[in-house]
Amino acid sequence: MTAQANGAASASYYGRPVVKPHVWTPMIPWYFWIGGMAGAASVQCVAARVRGEHDLAVVYKRAALAGAMTAPVLLIADLGVPARFMNMLRVFKPTSPMSVGSWILSAFGAAVTASTLAELLGWERTSRALEVVTASFGPGLTVYTAVLIADTATPVWHEAYDTLPFLFAASGVGGAGAIGSAFAPADQTAFARRLMIAGAFGVPIVGHLMEKRLGRFMAEPYRTGKAGSFRRVAEFLSLAGGAIGLLGGKNRTALRGAAVCVAASGVFERFAVSAAGTQSAKDPKYVVQPQRERVDEREPASVDT
Amino acid sequence: MELFDATGADRETATYDEPQARKGFFTDTTLCIGCKACEVACKEWNQLPSDGMTFTAQSYDNTGELNGTTWRHVAFVEELRNGKGGGDEQVLRAQAGRWLMESDVCKHCTHAACLDVCPTGSLIRTEFGTVVVQEDVCNGCGYCVPACPFGVIDKRQTDGHAGKCTLCYDRLTDGETPACAKACPTESIQFGDLDELRARADARLEKVRANAHFRDASLYLRGDDDGIGGGGAFFLLLDKPEVYGLPPDPVVTTRDLGAMWRVAGKAALALVGVTALAALGARK
Repeated sequence: MTAQANGAASASYYGRPVVKPHVWTPMIPWYFWIGGMAGAASVQCVAARVRGEHDLAVVYKRAALAGAMTAPVLLIADLGVPARFMNMLRVFKPTSPMSVGSWILSAFGAAVTASTLAELLGWERTSRALEVVTASFGPGLTVYTAVLIADTATPVWHEAYDTLPFLFAASGVGGAGAIGSAFAPADQTAFARRLMIAGAFGVPIVGHLMEKRLGRFMAEPYRTGKAGSFRRVAEFLSLAGGAIGLLGGKNRTALRGAAVCVAASGVFERFAVSAAGTQSAKDPKYVVQPQRERVDEREPASVDT
Repeated sequence: MELFDATGADRETATYDEPQARKGFFTDTTLCIGCKACEVACKEWNQLPSDGMTFTAQSYDNTGELNGTTWRHVAFVEELRNGKGGGDEQVLRAQAGRWLMESDVCKHCTHAACLDVCPTGSLIRTEFGTVVVQEDVCNGCGYCVPACPFGVIDKRQTDGHAGKCTLCYDRLTDGETPACAKACPTESIQFGDLDELRARADARLEKVRANAHFRDASLYLRGDDDGIGGGGAFFLLLDKPEVYGLPPDPVVTTRDLGAMWRVAGKAALALVGVTALAALGARK
């Protein structure tokens, strides 16, 4: 007996998955958040310099450095053969977003490390120039992970390729803004606070847009199960952090509370996306149904059964 | 040129000094008796560890799926007369029901997503047009696993790297037939030059469809114009692909990679734009 996935909707082989769910450990969603935050922080660092808020810029720079130092640890820990991590830089492969991303992360890490060293040596102009170099890789670091997961056969990732990069960008901006808001000196928080609030409201807005574009059926894995729970937590934290930041942002403690909410919401959002991918890969209907509809549209003759 | 063309079978095999005719499998499921000799021969030749003794309690298929250490998998479909089956109702009414068996394997896609997304260059296109993991290069990043539209390739728990059918690359280089095809007692698994196999499959399909019971028979992944540019391994199926656990219209994900990067570019610009806007604001 072949199991029917969803009433008469689509046939399957005993309800077994057609595609394999991703095999990444929780290191990867953590990396998505940390890398996204670091990338956005590097851009906000340069903007803070332009504004003449140098203490804030240093906070961002440390955040970018911390991200660039943590990221490889998380990524290497996830590898099946960690000793071969250098093989990531064995080739540059434009068809592989992970290859492109490895090079972006390497360049970003090298630039922010060099900039920090130059700063310690007192070479201010070199250090500032390298901050700009770092920032030139920042946006790429924040959004490439969305392309990475969209470039798979996982239904809710691939189908969402036109919105996922915006979701990751919004979450990155919010995360970096939260770090800036929490650690900047009291007289330099305005810029970071604005970005934190933008990210806090941006994530749920883009998230809803994504669900709308996916349609009721394909958005299900984002709304149900573990992914749905994570997203509801993320959304609550996002809106709470945004609201607190907006209304009570002049108060230092309130601002820091808001920053914790927004940063945490970004982490939950990445775990939600990861779990949604798994859920959509495990249930064959998300793979079969859209493909069956495409085939039947092309060859109406085969619908007669 | 689209990005994924760079790693497509036609282009890559042309880069070899001594390119061979593209090799493949034609799996004719009408001949399969579900004996699983292919599974055993594959395990033995490729020295693949056991996956343990598990019972699915669903059918005679206790293997379940292809994975890093199982490179042939015999699917066993029972289509019963009581209408619970997924088959063609008219055919089922005329019969007591039927058993469908299909030996599944890596499709060795013309446009292979696993190969495209592999960041280390471990996955390569061989001179035979097949897709092979270089086990000493793979670092087990796992990207190929969700990229495959057929759920074939998997990360091995035993040694951490990815694994899948190599079309017995070692045997091919010695002019030998892959182990599964050699072991198949009914010639359900046929190995050879892809062009020849396709011609043979066309003739076979015509013959099979002449029988009224099998008018739904079709060739799966036989062409060049599907979403993966055709399979190096293709199949003659008696029912819809999804009944065997195969995707009905697989598409190589990298086909949309250009569009994805364009969206990502816009998102990156938006990130910079929002930051710039916020920077224009007041200090307090």
